[in-house]
Amino acid sequence: METRSRLTTRAGLAALAAVSLLALVETASAIVAPYRAPADQDWRAAAAAIRVGFRPGDLIVAAPAWADPILRVHLGDLIPAEIAGRMDDERFQRVWEIGQRGATSAAAAGGTVAEKRRFGALTVRRIERQAAAVRYDFVARWTDAHLKERGADGTILDCPLVGDRGLCSDAGRNSVRRQLVEVDTRVRMALLARPAAHGTVVLEYPDVPLGRSVVVAGGLHNVWLRKEAQRPVDVRVFVGGIEAASFTTRNEDGWAMHRIDTSARAGQVAAVRFEITSPAPQARQFALAAEARF
Amino acid sequence: MKLPTLDARRLDWLITFALALATVFWLLGVEGRQGFGRDEGQYFRAGERYWGWFEELGSNLAHGEFKRSFAAPVIDRYWSDNAPDHPVVMKTLYGLSWRAFHRCHCTGATRGLHPIPVKGRHITLPLFARESTAFRFPAIVFAALLVAMVYRFARGWLARPPAAAAAVLTLAQPHYFFHAPLSCFDAPITTMAFAVGFAYWKSLRSPRWGIAAGVLFGIALGVKHNAWLMPIFLAGHYLWMRRGDLRARRFPRPPLAFVAMLVLGPIIFFAHWPWLWNSPVTRTRMYINRHLQHEHYNFEYLGLNWNNPPTTTARKLIRSTAPFVETAFTLPVTTLALAAVGVAALVRRRRGQPVAPDGPDEGPAGAGDDRPTWLRPGADVDRAPGAFLLVQTLGPLAVLAVPSTPIFGGVKHFMTAMPYLAVLAAIGVSRLIPVLAGLVPAARARLRQFAPAAFAVVVCLPAVVETRRSHPDGLSHYNLLAGGFAGGASLGMNRQFWGYAVLPMLDVINRDEPANRAMYWHDVIHDAINMYKRDGSLAMEVGDTGFGEEALRRSQTGILFYEKHWAIYESWFWDSYGTTKPFMVREREGVPLVTMYRRGSP
Repeated sequence: METRSRLTTRAGLAALAAVSLLALVETASAIVAPYRAPADQDWRAAAAAIRVGFRPGDLIVAAPAWADPILRVHLGDLIPAEIAGRMDDERFQRVWEIGQRGATSAAAAGGTVAEKRRFGALTVRRIERQAAAVRYDFVARWTDAHLKERGADGTILDCPLVGDRGLCSDAGRNSVRRQLVEVDTRVRMALLARPAAHGTVVLEYPDVPLGRSVVVAGGLHNVWLRKEAQRPVDVRVFVGGIEAASFTTRNEDGWAMHRIDTSARAGQVAAVRFEITSPAPQARQFALAAEARF
Repeated sequence: MKLPTLDARRLDWLITFALALATVFWLLGVEGRQGFGRDEGQYFRAGERYWGWFEELGSNLAHGEFKRSFAAPVIDRYWSDNAPDHPVVMKTLYGLSWRAFHRCHCTGATRGLHPIPVKGRHITLPLFARESTAFRFPAIVFAALLVAMVYRFARGWLARPPAAAAAVLTLAQPHYFFHAPLSCFDAPITTMAFAVGFAYWKSLRSPRWGIAAGVLFGIALGVKHNAWLMPIFLAGHYLWMRRGDLRARRFPRPPLAFVAMLVLGPIIFFAHWPWLWNSPVTRTRMYINRHLQHEHYNFEYLGLNWNNPPTTTARKLIRSTAPFVETAFTLPVTTLALAAVGVAALVRRRRGQPVAPDGPDEGPAGAGDDRPTWLRPGADVDRAPGAFLLVQTLGPLAVLAVPSTPIFGGVKHFMTAMPYLAVLAAIGVSRLIPVLAGLVPAARARLRQFAPAAFAVVVCLPAVVETRRSHPDGLSHYNLLAGGFAGGASLGMNRQFWGYAVLPMLDVINRDEPANRAMYWHDVIHDAINMYKRDGSLAMEVGDTGFGEEALRRSQTGILFYEKHWAIYESWFWDSYGTTKPFMVREREGVPLVTMYRRGSP
């Protein structure tokens, strides 16, 4: 009984000490924390430093990524929509990262730090990294593509380019265009295709200079449509008339990346065809981006 | 001069009143910095419209046409606003408070912004400079009532310092504090959940509290539909408390409180809501279905956007953790630690023992009073305070842990648990006070006397400082464990909802050139914009291009609230305005809350 009482006392003392210490730490933290956040002058100084060294083709990112809107207030003119909505980070050799609270960006991973400076609560790093050489950007070159809609009975409908989009038969409901999309609650620049009812949307690029791989990214556009519909979208990729890959994209897959090995045909020019279908195309809008890379 | 002495009872009432008054002053002192949420805008409008019915009733009475106000078209003209969504106890109070206490500029430029015709200058008791404060006042009073009740309830078990700590820790919770002054229902239903629980607890040994529980439950039903769950939690406790009956294979007597809730609850609910009167069955069914089939609005939790019931096992598991993780990341950590001590104390407590070392015994009521009857069903048994606090705290969280339940309200959906959690924390305080007193030498009697109060202050301090820090962005705030505003953002926790965070940007909008006043307001509802104008916070000339993509494309200036699912709106801004560069970003501790774009801005 004596032992138990002493243990209880010890536990009580430990609890008292822990709670008292916690109360002091929490109070101090609540008072100090607001002053640890980056100030506007930190951002201005960091932005000025980046502007001095910035070269066209550089990527500028915030770490953590949630600081991106503030980053764009200061450097948004150097981040056009095509860069902000990039397919991935692989094509960028130089990455400027404005970090805070010790965070780093995935875009900086694998590179070497060529420059590092502190501006108050912010750290600017310039990362040099091995960039992927892009031979062909399927989004930028989307007007090269022939757009068709193939019916279940094999009939082929051409979808000519009208204005800013490739337009299929039924009064504009089915179309493909290059635009900013939202996939997995992130903005991307992509081709937006609506799968056809009982048919296949076919996007064929006749002359693609191949490298060692074709990297395809895809996802389902529009948070409200993802809420409304659950059925997947299927994509088949043909290189030189041969099926090279197929994948299925569901709501929860986000912006999914697929790498197709074309090293056997590197240096050749071949047709690349994307075939997009869905078992239930209602409220399905598929966003697609791809690059042929060395 | 000799100070008047107070007996214990009067001193407790004085402390109760002081805590309530301090709550009113604290909330009134800061509420003006907090913008109007989507729902609040609607309740402003509905409250004023309900007042319109009373105004017309007065006029009809004066003309001897009393019955006219009860004709179906007249009732529906006023009371169908915000129906079948929510019953009308609070909205009616908001409307009446506005009518009584606003400072009337109603016949000036803002005359056309009212939801009912302004027939002339209102004669009022102009307590508040802003009309919105007059609307909010009843919610603030309800928060004060809660703080007062928590003190009274805790005082049943605890000494004054920990009981007062319970009251302070109830208010000093950033998310509760955010909701407390709003003309909404989440803080008021928290008050009513506590009131019903308190009355039920007292009813276990006092019949008059049984009747009171029924009345309070009826009022709670008129505040918000969370009230539907209250009897389930109470029944859980009751069956546990009377588990001896179950062991003896006899069904426990239904207590007066439940009978009163069953009888008085529906009567009061029906009587209070004129919209039900014309078609009671159909409209009650509409109201119930509205909430049983409520859609899943978008909500960010652990980096994922939730807007449908999860379908995979992994997602269901993640989803089921939401109320517990949100509690762990939003309450002051010291409060949580104290609650853990309180839980440990209750687990160790034996039947009949007091809850606190110096508190009253919790065993059977005493000689002559321990006959069990349905009027005093807790007279012959230990009332199981631990089980009571357990069901009242974990019950609301458990409901929200069911994966198919919408979680779009975050903490507010289970906020009814929080006062009870504060009581648990106060029990923790009461258990640590003797340990502290034991460290003070017996010779230092004065120090020993003040140690409990000093300790209560020390453990309340982080909660108060943290709550002050969070204001006016309580929804974006996360605690020390999560890492504050920034930590919450990094963890992918919901940053805000309702579009309230624009208020500090209104000065910039007001100063903008006339050419930029075609404004896209994103999630700020038109009723909220009207109230900003009525309050004088927003220039009358600032426009509202409407909602959705086309409205954004018509605008010259626009704002975007950061919520995970709104990313698509950012793409529309980039596309329509031709830039990714915002004109400004409103942030807290470096975390973006609202982004403003201006067309043609360099």
